[in-house]
Amino acid sequence: MSKIMQLSSALRGKKISSAELTKEYISRIERLNPKLNAYVCQTFDEALKNAEAADKMIKNGEGTLLTGIPMTLKDNIATDGLPTTCCSKILQGFKPYYDATVWSKLKSQGAVLLGKTNMDEFAMGSTSETSVYGAPLNPVNTTRVTGGSSGGVASAVKADMAVYGLGSDTGGSIRQPAAFCGAVGFKPTYGAVSRYGLIAYGSSLDQIGPITTSVEDAAIVYDAIRGKDTKDQTSVSTEDGKTELAKDVKGLKIGVAEEFFDGINPEIKNAIDAAISLYERSGAEVIRLSVPALKSALPVYYIIACAEASSNLGRYDGIRYGYRAKDYSGIDDMVVKTRTEGFGKEVKKRIMLGTYVLSSGYFDAYYKKACLIRSRLIADFENVFKECDVLIAPAAPETAFPSGYSGGNSIQMYLSDVCTVPVNIAGLPAASLPCGKDKNGLPIGMQIISGRFCDKKVLSAACFYEHEAGIVIENQEDLL
Amino acid sequence: MSVTDKQLKQFARLARLDFPDEEIEAFKGEFEEMIAFWDSINSAVEGDAASIREVGARQIPLNGLREDEVASSLPNEKILSNVNGENGYFTVKRVVK
Repeated sequence: MSKIMQLSSALRGKKISSAELTKEYISRIERLNPKLNAYVCQTFDEALKNAEAADKMIKNGEGTLLTGIPMTLKDNIATDGLPTTCCSKILQGFKPYYDATVWSKLKSQGAVLLGKTNMDEFAMGSTSETSVYGAPLNPVNTTRVTGGSSGGVASAVKADMAVYGLGSDTGGSIRQPAAFCGAVGFKPTYGAVSRYGLIAYGSSLDQIGPITTSVEDAAIVYDAIRGKDTKDQTSVSTEDGKTELAKDVKGLKIGVAEEFFDGINPEIKNAIDAAISLYERSGAEVIRLSVPALKSALPVYYIIACAEASSNLGRYDGIRYGYRAKDYSGIDDMVVKTRTEGFGKEVKKRIMLGTYVLSSGYFDAYYKKACLIRSRLIADFENVFKECDVLIAPAAPETAFPSGYSGGNSIQMYLSDVCTVPVNIAGLPAASLPCGKDKNGLPIGMQIISGRFCDKKVLSAACFYEHEAGIVIENQEDLL
Repeated sequence: MSVTDKQLKQFARLARLDFPDEEIEAFKGEFEEMIAFWDSINSAVEGDAASIREVGARQIPLNGLREDEVASSLPNEKILSNVNGENGYFTVKRVVK
């Protein structure tokens, strides 16, 4: 039984109250967070109030599986009256005046928010080390990064400082940290979950999704947050009811695209091959194929993401919220000084690169071409999913890097997103889940991808592997 | 491709950012490295021009349309709660003498 199912059943069976459970999580955070730096804001008083309200809901026979369950949100998801800073100096002190739709949906079900978790500044990074609060640490091995940008959520969930958490995924920011920390990360189809209240990075790529300790829990959280929202015009209606996960894979067509395995660490490749063999032995059909446009996915992603970031981050002018420079001689000077002092190095770099590709003389050479190749990739994926139900790929080309990695060659760091960005470019659903460990004991992540709005196929195939391979995600407390 | 300090200052002006002279050299290196990486898409487009044109513009749906209806907005005092607003306005230092 998954962790959420177990805890929910204990709450309903009166074996424990939500208030007691929340206190247990608070004491665990007080003990572990000074080592892991996963939480950047703790909301314990609110959590205890919400837990008492959840206990009343349960007593009255109301609520859902998530009622009374302690959880966390990435620091870029708006929470009314609670700090939401994107781990950036420019949003220090900012308290939104509204809730993100995902949070209002969970709150109405009696979810208990323990606090906000660490991330790369404005979700720009693959290690969570660009956070203004310093990096969170990987509970599996504290000399390694958590991955990013939702590194704080992955660290908190893995160390059992939250039962589950919501992250955001623009180019792999849910799947890659889940893979590095040995948890499950699910990025739903673009449009399946409202982004209202998610602080924007790349609007045609961003998506909110869960990080959990099992695929079943990911499906439960996904069901609670999905659906059309009039406040996000890109959101669409999804099927009503619970996402029922298929019990077997007989006849499932699994695609394996060779491009996903170029330059992958051999230990990771072997682990994914073993997982593919398990599916094959269980009755799935494996189709080897090629998607040539995947080779251009990484530069295309960075062109589009930087362009959208340069536009989205134009709103930080120091006038309406967050940080404002102290000394300035006029309005223009105030805006320039505020942005120069408020944004970190990586964010400024991406704003500059985005400004460059959108500026006259370079728009056709970069942005327009990137959009053309994006079209090609979307069409290629449409064809792939006419032939097969899901694609299996690595979640990252390497396991968790040593801390301090982002201080090195920046292109090298961007290359670590090579397996995840194609999914965002085409708006597809994908999950990453553990499928073994490397020789250093670091988790290896497998990625399962499907066509638009085939989220159930992704979760079913992932759930099957998790059960068949006997993957049980233990929390890492003993190691700390 | 290489960029000049003058071009970088121009992009910085557009982006409302400022780079002191001592930072611009290091930044230029990283900037050029990224542009060189992006230049790889040119060979992809040229090498695959026919098939890319054949696909045409394909997008993931970005916009659902809705009726334009009047609705209430957030209360003024809430919007101003993050800054020291005055009389319902955002305030900055006086700049007009």
